[in-house]
Amino acid sequence: MVSLAADLETSYLESEHTVASWLFTRDHKRIALLFFASITFFFFIGGFAATLIRLHLATPQGLLQPDIYNRMFAMHGIVMVWFFLIPSIPTTLGNFVLPLAIGAHDLAFPRVNLLSWYIFNLSGLVLLYALFMGGVDTGWTFYTPYSTLFSNGYVIAAALAVFVNGFSSIMTGLNFVVTVHRLRAPGMTWMHLPLFVWGIYTVSLVMLLATPVLAMTVFLVAMERFMRVGIFDPSLGGDPLLFQHMFWFYSHPAVYIMILPAMGVVSELVSCYARKSIFGYTGMAYALISLAILTFFVWGHHMFTAGISIYSGVVFSLMTFFVALPSAVKVFNWTASLHKGRISFDAPMLYALGFVLLFTIGGLTGLMVATLALDVHLQDTYFVIAHFHYIMVGGTVSAFFGGLHYWWPKITGRLYPEMWARFAAILTFVGFNLTFFPQFVLGYLGMPRRYYTYPAQWQSWNVLSSAGASILAFAYILPLGYLAWSLLWGERSGPNPWRATGLEWQTASPPPQYNFARTPTVTVAPYAYDAETDGFTAQNGVTGA
Amino acid sequence: MTFAVAWLVLLLLTGLSILSAYLHLAVWAPVVQFGVAATQAAIVFIVFMRLRGPASLKWLFAGAGFFWLLFLYGLSMTDYASRRGWP
Amino acid sequence: MPDLRPEIQYATLAQQGETAQLGMWGFIATETLFFGALIFGYFIYRHAYPVAFAEASKDAIMWCGSVNIGLLLTSSLTMVLAIEAAAAGERSALKLWLAATAALGVIFICVKGLEWYLDYADKVVPAVNFTLKPGEPPQAELFWIFYFIATGFHALHLTIGVTLICYMLLRTRWGDLTPAYYAPLEVVGLYWSFVDTVWIFLYPAIYLAGRS
Repeated sequence: MVSLAADLETSYLESEHTVASWLFTRDHKRIALLFFASITFFFFIGGFAATLIRLHLATPQGLLQPDIYNRMFAMHGIVMVWFFLIPSIPTTLGNFVLPLAIGAHDLAFPRVNLLSWYIFNLSGLVLLYALFMGGVDTGWTFYTPYSTLFSNGYVIAAALAVFVNGFSSIMTGLNFVVTVHRLRAPGMTWMHLPLFVWGIYTVSLVMLLATPVLAMTVFLVAMERFMRVGIFDPSLGGDPLLFQHMFWFYSHPAVYIMILPAMGVVSELVSCYARKSIFGYTGMAYALISLAILTFFVWGHHMFTAGISIYSGVVFSLMTFFVALPSAVKVFNWTASLHKGRISFDAPMLYALGFVLLFTIGGLTGLMVATLALDVHLQDTYFVIAHFHYIMVGGTVSAFFGGLHYWWPKITGRLYPEMWARFAAILTFVGFNLTFFPQFVLGYLGMPRRYYTYPAQWQSWNVLSSAGASILAFAYILPLGYLAWSLLWGERSGPNPWRATGLEWQTASPPPQYNFARTPTVTVAPYAYDAETDGFTAQNGVTGA
Repeated sequence: MTFAVAWLVLLLLTGLSILSAYLHLAVWAPVVQFGVAATQAAIVFIVFMRLRGPASLKWLFAGAGFFWLLFLYGLSMTDYASRRGWP
Repeated sequence: MPDLRPEIQYATLAQQGETAQLGMWGFIATETLFFGALIFGYFIYRHAYPVAFAEASKDAIMWCGSVNIGLLLTSSLTMVLAIEAAAAGERSALKLWLAATAALGVIFICVKGLEWYLDYADKVVPAVNFTLKPGEPPQAELFWIFYFIATGFHALHLTIGVTLICYMLLRTRWGDLTPAYYAPLEVVGLYWSFVDTVWIFLYPAIYLAGRS
């Protein structure tokens, strides 16, 4: 055994100070921060593109050239999907918290973890190359034959970036799956895992099983374009729908890659800030598993109007309705967990409650577009845009910010300024709804997605949406400011400022290099909060008042 | 010893597969050939990659890839088996 | 002497070794889906254009594929014998079997290279040098696209495998692989046999489709 005692005096931040100690670190906590830097960078690139899109759409005439507009929404999609949303919670909060929460000293494969970060950045560089050379105009979906035969953007570079990015995703997922299987602390049974760990575990499974198919698909697109051979080209006998089948076999589960860890985060937050055990823990865990499996059965609902057979459409529509069951279990159980709780509306809780509401709206509108007949009307309109932004932005990004605030004291050892954080959380909620609710209306009225202009009578809704977007942008920049402030001047937090039960709170803040002085033993189920007495019992059996 | 036997069986199966290719089996030819391939793969997995022994986590991991492929193949068949105008 | 302590996150070397193997099994699951997605496309097109695929498959060079499947099946045997030797602590046998495995891999790649050259001469390389044979349906080109992508990826995997085996030979020289801990070798063995399995499926798909 490497001597633990020597490394326990100092936190992981203080153990070494050189740049090399960061670039060659094997500590999951440091790698989490490296990932945090990378995805924040891409979040603002994607956000910049989104800002331009909304500015452009404030008037029917717009301010960008049509071709530039196309490149903006394509880059917005590619960056946000693969370079922010998919890695967001797993590689940062997951990387940081997962080993702590299961009582491990590190992930199973620390070097692979670091390699994953380097590969992520490599793919990011390839994407930036595509961006600076002029971008792509295919949308994030790379639909053939447009992407392979007609587009004049840098499709090959962008596809290659997505291809390489997949390896990072797979490595991280593999690491998490193996870690959860093999490195749980004694007594940490599957039914004692915090739901955040369940969320990360199930998302890792989806990453492992879906990403390789995407890798092959985008590789085929790049080959078809590069070699000018028709893999999906109908004139050679190829089938464009084959591309869509393969693409959505990954890209539908990709949405669940975004939402499953978010659900895990929200379970932690709701329980902690309501001082209540999560209602129906077992059902919550099984709901995550069934979502991770069901997500592979529904990809055809992206193709209802693309020319698949009607029988196939019926099957995929039916499968999609099944997704509502575990989703509803989650929403009902979060709500029920609040019942008779001792609720405090701290910033993480505000984000969590916002998540539950926005996820519900996003989910219910999902049922609408899953209906075969209604989808003919709604497909490729702003209704779909609004629907998936409610899930991805209202859901995942809210949960990411909630989790970031919740674990911020653990990561940095400092408390964030509560009032500013609450203000940002409320502003996010308001700005988000103002941005995307009008898009439901616009979509229902028939405004197609990806068009660079629209009839003048829709301008008022578009102006509302653009106004909301500027509020949202401000609400996303705010935390950058006050969280940075807290790094220097924030109050010291102590190990467990929220009086939470997870193992990660039973070690110092920030944690020492190898997390725990000795491997903890788990005796208590997660979320042993008592709303009546306001007491709690941590998972290692330590009680607090 | 087990390994040598497995190797011989694998070679014999390859021979069987080649033989089937020249036998005018029509639609049954790919069934036989990919059936043989699946058997060979099972032998490699179980003997050479040491999956034999009691059921374990390894089985689950090894099987997951193939099992998930069934979803891709199976559910897309709902489209390809009934799409008008294909091929 | 090699460092025989487990990494910090593991309680024992045995736990570390088993975890490494489990990781490789997980990776193999992703590889199964990677190649499986390509073969999925093959099946869809073969089912749609049976005549074109049968005609094209006749031009695939039977002896190359058949020799190569023999080579790979044999290399899986030598690989597992290398692992047995490592477990028994027989270092010279370990080196011998590892070298044999690497050699079989290299021969495979040579045969593959020759085959690609012959394919080029036969004008069946899409986008580079491609002419339809008289009476051959145009969808035959789809077969050859599949052929080159599949064999290309497989050869890439095999090259990585040969590199890993050479690395294992080095580690044997350093005395790293002892009966107490030879998990890295087992991990490489899993990878190697999986690459073999890929060829087991590619073989009938490429060479046997149009023989009768």
